[in-house]
Amino acid sequence: MPQIKIYQEDEIPSPMRRFWHAFSENPFAFAGLWTVICFLLLALFGPLIAPYAPEQQDPHALLLAPSWDAAGTVEHFLGTDDLGRDIFSRLLHGAHLTFGMALGIVLASLALGFIIGSISGMMKGLKSSILSHLLDALLSIPSLLMAILVVAIMGPGLENVFWAVGIALTPQFVRAIHQAIHEELQKEYVTAARLDGANQFQIFWYVIMPNIWDTLIIQTTLGISAAILDIAALGFLNLGAQAPSPEWGAMVSQGMDNLLTAPWTVTIPGIAILCCVLAINLVGDGLRSALSPINN
Amino acid sequence: MARYLLRRMNLFVATSLVLLSVLFIATHHFPVEIRFALTGIHAPTVEQIAQIDEDYRLESNQLGQFIGYLEQRVTGNLGISATSQQPVTDELAAVLPASFELAIVAAVLALLFGIPLGVLASMSKNKITQHTIMTITLTGYSIPVFWLGLTLSLWFGVQLGWLPISGQLNLLYEIEPATGFVLIDTLLSDSPYADSAFIDALQHIILPAVTLAVLPFTVVVRSTRSAIISIMDKTYIKAAEARGLHTSRIVLRHALPNALIPVLKNLGLMLGTFASYAMVVEVIFSWPGVGAWLVSGIYQRDYTVIQGGVLAVALIIIFLSIMIEVLHTAINPLSRKELYAAN
Amino acid sequence: MPLLDIRNLTIELDTPHGRVKALDRVSLTINPAEIHGLVGESGSGRSLLARAILGIPGHNWTIKADRMLWDGHNLLEMSSKQRRNLMGSEIAMIFQDPSSSLDPVIRVGTQLVEAMPENKKLPFWRRSADKKKTAKKWLHKVGIKDTQKVMSSYAWELSEGECQKVMIAMAIANQPRLLIADEPTNSMEMDTQAQIFRLLTKLNQLQDVSILLISHELETLSIWCDQLSVMYCGQIMESGPTAEILAHPYHPYTKTLLNNIPDHTGQIAHKSIMRTLPGSAPALQHLPIGCRLGPRCPRAEKKCVSRPNLSHKKNRYFACHFPYQEETCNEDTTASS
Repeated sequence: MPQIKIYQEDEIPSPMRRFWHAFSENPFAFAGLWTVICFLLLALFGPLIAPYAPEQQDPHALLLAPSWDAAGTVEHFLGTDDLGRDIFSRLLHGAHLTFGMALGIVLASLALGFIIGSISGMMKGLKSSILSHLLDALLSIPSLLMAILVVAIMGPGLENVFWAVGIALTPQFVRAIHQAIHEELQKEYVTAARLDGANQFQIFWYVIMPNIWDTLIIQTTLGISAAILDIAALGFLNLGAQAPSPEWGAMVSQGMDNLLTAPWTVTIPGIAILCCVLAINLVGDGLRSALSPINN
Repeated sequence: MARYLLRRMNLFVATSLVLLSVLFIATHHFPVEIRFALTGIHAPTVEQIAQIDEDYRLESNQLGQFIGYLEQRVTGNLGISATSQQPVTDELAAVLPASFELAIVAAVLALLFGIPLGVLASMSKNKITQHTIMTITLTGYSIPVFWLGLTLSLWFGVQLGWLPISGQLNLLYEIEPATGFVLIDTLLSDSPYADSAFIDALQHIILPAVTLAVLPFTVVVRSTRSAIISIMDKTYIKAAEARGLHTSRIVLRHALPNALIPVLKNLGLMLGTFASYAMVVEVIFSWPGVGAWLVSGIYQRDYTVIQGGVLAVALIIIFLSIMIEVLHTAINPLSRKELYAAN
Repeated sequence: MPLLDIRNLTIELDTPHGRVKALDRVSLTINPAEIHGLVGESGSGRSLLARAILGIPGHNWTIKADRMLWDGHNLLEMSSKQRRNLMGSEIAMIFQDPSSSLDPVIRVGTQLVEAMPENKKLPFWRRSADKKKTAKKWLHKVGIKDTQKVMSSYAWELSEGECQKVMIAMAIANQPRLLIADEPTNSMEMDTQAQIFRLLTKLNQLQDVSILLISHELETLSIWCDQLSVMYCGQIMESGPTAEILAHPYHPYTKTLLNNIPDHTGQIAHKSIMRTLPGSAPALQHLPIGCRLGPRCPRAEKKCVSRPNLSHKKNRYFACHFPYQEETCNEDTTASS
């Protein structure tokens, strides 16, 4: 005799499944995710598919318009700059610098911020408050000022951007993690775990950690987009990547001289930055709204 | 409340101390001779060297030097600029008003348009509309400010020729600076062409202010919207509905005051980014503010200018963020509740 | 003519599990100047019913009804603006969580004054002073002595009982004809509860306000109400005059509820099993077909998979295929007491 189901089958989806469902329902976030994946691949393999070397100059094709323009050619898909360098290839090489470096900076400062934030979050009283106020001071220095200080000490250059943006980002992570842990510590379930005899580490790792993942993820996406914008802004101000470098912000700054005659030398790298940051923010926004119903 | 204010004051002093020590350490790592980094005097005479050594206690240990450094900086001695040989304090006083003017106009623009739009966005029930609004504001949030500034000046300044793209005021006008704020100065000025100067100043500020306002505008729209959406689910809104109040009255009287509290908080968190953006905007539009001054200082390796600028901007930001926190506490009766509970 | 007459009100909710009938053909009649009790477990749809009557539906609701008459006017055909006007003047509601029903950032007095009706006879410059005066008058009426202090406080500075009194003052200031009280005394001490109930009864007697009193405690409701409706899982099980229901419940669910009221006679054997129904109330996505009490009902038979219609006997209504008859009922009550 077949088993009769009295209730229709109805399994409650796991948080992960629900999260994915909520995320994929937002078409913008989904598009953003694909774009980010494309940019990731470009950052890794961009130099391999680039048709020209980033600094290769073509004296016969100076300030060539993009291919859709009447004056453009297909050989230089997005046109060339004033030295005859292929903008498309430079963008591909620059993806590695701008996007890849932003990822590296965020990972490094996230790791550092996570350690400091967890320690200060789990601590109480004076030590914790000193640590957090110290970081408040650092946080109040805008990233650009921090970069100016770093450049004043170490001189301009792409490596110093790493330090400048990293130092500016770390306090944000520390603060976010510190606050998230502090908030969770107030909640009843932590007290319950403490009454069960969990020690400080167990409370942190098994009780609090699973509940602050979402903060961590959201902060990471915010951090990446902020890092890209900072790197590009520094490149633009000539404080970061220097002249021949195909870093996107530096490309905009190099195109500035020909803004009137060849606006695409400025427009195209700018659009690349915009797309990249927008895609990351879309993903971050989608993540945030997908994570919030789980919390409620 | 007095106790709370005192605690905030303490926080301000402590944070400033940390900031000064960061600057002190940085000064010692500048790749130039320490006396030059501290004062900006190129080739000091023997007497000057002795004076500098005495002022900054360069003979004593690190702590003593730090105290000397503190003394000089707190009394307002920021050294002289290496390039112009003018006192840094004077230069700062000359450039700060322009920056404030730009920042205030941008902030007012952002709030003026951001809050109503956020309220409207929160009212929309349609999923597509919501996603569209969110995507547009997200684009504004993601746009690199230097590129936006360049594009705007290319379109409106060069191609259409509607608006001037650099400086604060046409050089033809000679306006006596009274407050430092050009918009006010031109109004106060009694010269015969004051009115046209005011219009010119207004035209000059439009592009930079709009460029700078994009970021706070999007933040205001997004946080207003999310705050109102979450507040509209609260019981007291349902209760107000049950009392038969009109929807617009509920939104304006009950939802908006509650929603502005988190918006204020978000604005406070955004100050640092806002300052960075303001500096870039000043560079692009040649706005004679502290950002452009600071960036030209770094190009010329003018270490006293760098120190002075970083110190001034960071202090202002610390001060403003603490002020916002105090304001947040003052207008939000709920946080006073927490305050009483904590005491 | 009844003040409120609802026939077969069905509310469907859109949930991730599909569309769920949260209220299933609920009928309710409230006469002028009566206190009508609505008893049910939490999650049985009492608050949904209250909000549907008032007219503040949630965004994922679908409301259908054969009839929904307010004083002879069809509520379903009214525009939202008309409903809003009705809400302000004729139907009022107080909520179960009074302190969070008041706006936290505005002083209580301001909110109270805002809710006061405008005296159209006065010139407009004297209206606000007049409103303030009426606000104080109403605060006095609901039993708050120090009106000045309460009016200048924020909601979180007052106790739950005081907040509820303020809410009641706001609700009755427009002299409504029906007051819906959704668990008005939840999370309050016993004496505050008694104060609030006494206040409500007094209002009922002095101002002829009908009150729909919603609670999960049959015991409390049986003291204060004239009429009683019993709800389970979005279905009305039984309704009728309180005294008669208490004496002779027709429906097995009502009977169990009555049995659950602790009696302090001390005649129950030590560690004897509490007389409750087996199992627990089903979740919203697992509602059984037919009579929703079916799986838990001691008297359920095959017929119960089809929903029993609301049948009536004199002024009693019940929805059960196998109601307790008067005789057996009598036996049962004597046996159990």
